[in-house]
Amino acid sequence: MSALVAAEPAVRPEPMRSEAAAPMPRPAVNPGLAALRLFLRNPSGLLGSLILIGLLFAALAGPHLYGVDPFEIVGAPFQPPGGDPLLGTDYLGQDILAALLQGGRATLLVGFSAALITVVIGVTFGALAGFFGGRVDAALMKVTEFFQVLPTLLFAMVLVTLFGQRIAITTIAIGIVSWPPTARLTRAEFLRLRGLDFVKAARAAGAGPLYLIGRVILPNAAPPIVVSATLAIGTAVLFEGALSFLGLGDPNVMSWGLMIGQNRAYALEAWWTVLLPGAAIFLAVLGVSLVGDAVNDAVNPRLRKRS
Amino acid sequence: MDPVLAVEDLTVTLTRPDGPVPVLERLSFSVEAGRTVALVGESGCGKSMTALAIMGLLPEGFARTDGRIRLAGEDIAAAQPSRLRALRGSALSMIFQEPMTALNPVYTVGDQIAEALRLHQRLGRRAALERALAMLRAVQIPAAERRLHAYPHELSGGMRQRVMIAMALACRPKLLIADEPTTALDVTVQAQVFDLLKALQDEMGTAIVLITHDLGAVADIADTVAVLYAGRCIEQGDTRSVMRAPQHPYTRGLMGCTPHLRLGAAADAGTGPLREIPGLVPPLGRRPAICAFADRCGRADATCLDNPQPPLAEAGPARAVACWHPEARAA
Amino acid sequence: MTGLRRLGATAANAAGLLLAVVVLNFLLIQAAPGDPAQVIAGEMGGASPEIMAEIRTRYGLDRSLPEQLATYVGKVVRGDLGYSFFFNEPVSRLILGRLPATALLVLSSLGLAVLAGAGLGILGARRPNGLLSHVVSLVAIAGNAAPVFWTGLMLLVVFASLWPVLPVAGMEDVATPRHGLAYGLDVAQHLVLPALTLGIVYVAQYSRLMRASMIDALNADYVRTARAKGLPERIVVGKHALRNALIPLVTMVGLQFGQLFAGAILVETVFAWPGLGRLTFDSILRRDYPTLLGILFCSALLVIAANLVTDLLYRLIDPRIRAGRPA
Repeated sequence: MSALVAAEPAVRPEPMRSEAAAPMPRPAVNPGLAALRLFLRNPSGLLGSLILIGLLFAALAGPHLYGVDPFEIVGAPFQPPGGDPLLGTDYLGQDILAALLQGGRATLLVGFSAALITVVIGVTFGALAGFFGGRVDAALMKVTEFFQVLPTLLFAMVLVTLFGQRIAITTIAIGIVSWPPTARLTRAEFLRLRGLDFVKAARAAGAGPLYLIGRVILPNAAPPIVVSATLAIGTAVLFEGALSFLGLGDPNVMSWGLMIGQNRAYALEAWWTVLLPGAAIFLAVLGVSLVGDAVNDAVNPRLRKRS
Repeated sequence: MDPVLAVEDLTVTLTRPDGPVPVLERLSFSVEAGRTVALVGESGCGKSMTALAIMGLLPEGFARTDGRIRLAGEDIAAAQPSRLRALRGSALSMIFQEPMTALNPVYTVGDQIAEALRLHQRLGRRAALERALAMLRAVQIPAAERRLHAYPHELSGGMRQRVMIAMALACRPKLLIADEPTTALDVTVQAQVFDLLKALQDEMGTAIVLITHDLGAVADIADTVAVLYAGRCIEQGDTRSVMRAPQHPYTRGLMGCTPHLRLGAAADAGTGPLREIPGLVPPLGRRPAICAFADRCGRADATCLDNPQPPLAEAGPARAVACWHPEARAA
Repeated sequence: MTGLRRLGATAANAAGLLLAVVVLNFLLIQAAPGDPAQVIAGEMGGASPEIMAEIRTRYGLDRSLPEQLATYVGKVVRGDLGYSFFFNEPVSRLILGRLPATALLVLSSLGLAVLAGAGLGILGARRPNGLLSHVVSLVAIAGNAAPVFWTGLMLLVVFASLWPVLPVAGMEDVATPRHGLAYGLDVAQHLVLPALTLGIVYVAQYSRLMRASMIDALNADYVRTARAKGLPERIVVGKHALRNALIPLVTMVGLQFGQLFAGAILVETVFAWPGLGRLTFDSILRRDYPTLLGILFCSALLVIAANLVTDLLYRLIDPRIRAGRPA
C-alpha cells in the first residue's frame, strides 16, 4: 500500500505551493560566487557598500587631501557651515570638516578592530563549546552568560575608566563586552554541524579536533558568523561614539563621538557642531547594517522574503 | 438526492508576473450526504488546491476564475466573505495533512475544539468545553478529561489527528474535506483513523471529500473516485468499477504502484515487478496543449500528440474518462 | 523537573552570577593601575592620609588577596557597596535614591517600544509588500543606526529652540509642588523626550522583529486551521498568530534589558534626568570608583531580575517551555 506513498516524494517533493515553479536551484558551482552575485543584485547591499567605500575613502585619503589639522584653531568659534571653512567651526574655532575626516579614521579603526576582537573571542568560545559539548560547553556557556549579565556599554565604561583612556583600551573594552552573541551563534552552528555526515566522515578518516574545528566545521559555519561580524562593526562604531561622547575616549585622538561630546553644551546655539558628526556615525552604522542585511540575504536566500 | 457538494467547472488560476497560469481546469465532481468521494493523483496534480478552493482559503496569488461550488445548493464560491466564514467550521470543515503543525502549540486542545462551538453555536465557555469533551470521547481519545487540558505537544501524532477530527466535526458539518489525513502517521494508526472517520460519517451523515494517494484507503471507504492529473480530472466514476477496470493509463499506472490492488485490476495487464510511472507531472505553467500525460504514457501515438487535450467523456454507466485511447471495458 | 526544584536551580544560578559580578568588581579594583586604596578613594583630589588609612583597614588591604576578597564579598552580601567619598554617602543609598527615576525612564521607554513596535510590526505583517511594511523596515534600519545620544541632542535642539512645547531638561519644574496630580503631569511632561529618545531605537528593532515573526505565524498551518474554523481575521491574527509571534519578542526584550539600561545612561546625560545614568556619568567624571562599581553590580542585579521575569513570561506564553522542553 505504501509503495505509491514512498514513490511520490521522488516524483515531486514540494507540490502546488506558490514557489513550486520557482527556478530550480542553480547547480552549486561556487557558492561564494553565487552569494556575491546575490549580494550585488541587492540594492541595499549596493547602497551600503557605496556608503562604506565613501566613508573609508574620506577617512583614509581625506586628511591628506584637505590638509588641515583638526586640533588647530582656524578662526572664530561657531562659524556656520557654507562659508570658509566649508562646514564651519566648533566651540574652539576648530575646522569641523578637518575633524570629521580625521575623526573617521579613529571611529572606523576602532569599529573594525573591535569587531575583529569580538569575532575572535566569540568564535573561539562558541567553537570550543559547540564542538566538545558536555562540561566544556557548560563551563564556557556559564562564562558567556556571566558576560551577558553585565550591561555592555556600562561594562565598557568601567573598563575604560579604570584602565585609561587610550584608543587601544577603548577597542579592547568594546571587543571584550560584545562577544557573547557571536559565541552563542557559533556554538549553535557547531552543535548543528558536528553531527552531520561530512564531519563524521572526516572524524572517521582520523582528523584531529583542531582540524575538524578549523578546516571542516568552521568553513560551513562561516555564513552566519560573517553576518554577525558585519553587524558587530556597526555596534562597535556606536559604542566608540558613546564612550567618546561621555568623555571616555582618547582625548588626543579626534573622533566623531568626541566632537559631539565636546560641542554638546553649545548644541542649542551651534546645532551643526553636533549634527554633522552624529550624521557621520549614522551613515557609517547605516552602511554597515545595509551591507550586513544584504550579506545575510545572499548567504541565506531562503529568508529573503521574510524581512 | 441532491448532492451536499457539487463542484462544477471549477477553474483556479495563479497570477504570475508573466501572466496567468492555469492550476485547476474545469474540474467537476459531487458528493452526497453520508457518501465519500476520493480525489487521487500524484502531488502537484491539484488535489490540495481543490480542497483550499472549496474552503475559500486559496493562498495569495491563486484565485477561482470560473465555475461554481455548491454547498447544499448554495454557490459558496460566489458568497460574501462573511457568509463563507459563517459556513467554515460549521457546515464545511477540513482536516489537514500535518497534525503536528496544524494545531496551535500555545492553546489547549479543548480550547481549540471549543472555539468553533462558541463561535458558530454561540455556546458558553463551559458548555463548549463539555461538547469538546464529548467530541474527544467520540474520536476515542483515552482519558479524554485529561486530554482536554493538554497542549498539542503533549500528544502523539495519531492523537493529534484525532483532535483535528474532533475539531472539524464538532459542529456536525455537512461536508468534511480530509486532505491526506493519514500521510504523516504510522501505518497502524492510519487504518484506525480511517475507521474512525467512517464510523463518524455513518453516525453524522457527513459527506466526505477524501484527498489521498493511498489507493487502499480509497478502495475501503470511497464511494466514488476522481483521478486528477495536471489540474484536470482524467477519470472518474464509481470506486469499484474504476478500480476493477481503470480506463485511463494513468489510473492504471497509479494502481500498478499499489501492491495489493494489482490482484484485481493490474493483474490482467501482465504483471511484473512493481512499476513506477516514468517521468514527472508537468509543473505549473508548463502544461502542454495536448494530453498532459502523453509524454509519460506507453500508449501515446500520433493521435495523442497531434490533438488537443482529450475531453472528459462518458465511458459507461456513471463513468467518464479523458483519453484518446481508453482501455477496453472490464473483461 | 518539578516547579520547586526548577525555582531552586534558577535562584542558585542567579546567586552564582551575582557572586561572580562581585568577584569581578574586586578583581577590577586589584587590576586597575595604581594602589587599590587609591582606586577605592577615587581620584578626588588627594584623599587625606587619614582616609587612606581608614580605607586600608576597612577593606583589609594589608592582608592577603583571598582574605581581602572574603572581606569584600562579605560587605556586599550585607548590602554594603562601599562609601562614595565624593558624594559623601554610602553607595547603596546613593543608588537607591536614583533608582526610581531610572526605573521610570526605562520602563516607559520599554512600554513604548513594545507597544509601538509590536503594533507596527503586526500592521506591517498584514501586508508584507505594502507601503507601511516598507516604511517600517526603513525606519527600523535608520533607528538602529542613529546613536541614541545624538537622537536625543537633535530632539533637544528641536524642542528647545524651534518648537518649545516640551521641557528638555530635568525631571521636574522647580516651581511645581512636589506632590499631587500637578506633579505627576509635570514629571510626565519631562519624561516625554527622554523616553521617546530611548524608546525609538527599540521601536525600530521590535517592529522589525515582530513583522518577521508575525509573517511566520500568519503562514503557519495552525493559522490556516483557525481560518478553516471560520474565525474572523481579528481572532485569527489577535489570538492564534499573535501569541506565537510574541515569543521571539519576549526573548529579545529580555536579552536587551541590559542594553536598554545602558542606553538610559546616555539619555539621562543628554536630558539631565536625575537617575542612575547621571550618577554614572558623574562618578566617571570624578573617578568615583566605588559608586561606579556599585552601579555595575546593581545593573547586573537588575538584568538578572529582568531575565527571571522574562523566563516567567515565557512560561506563561509558551506551554512547550512550561513542560520543561528547552527553548
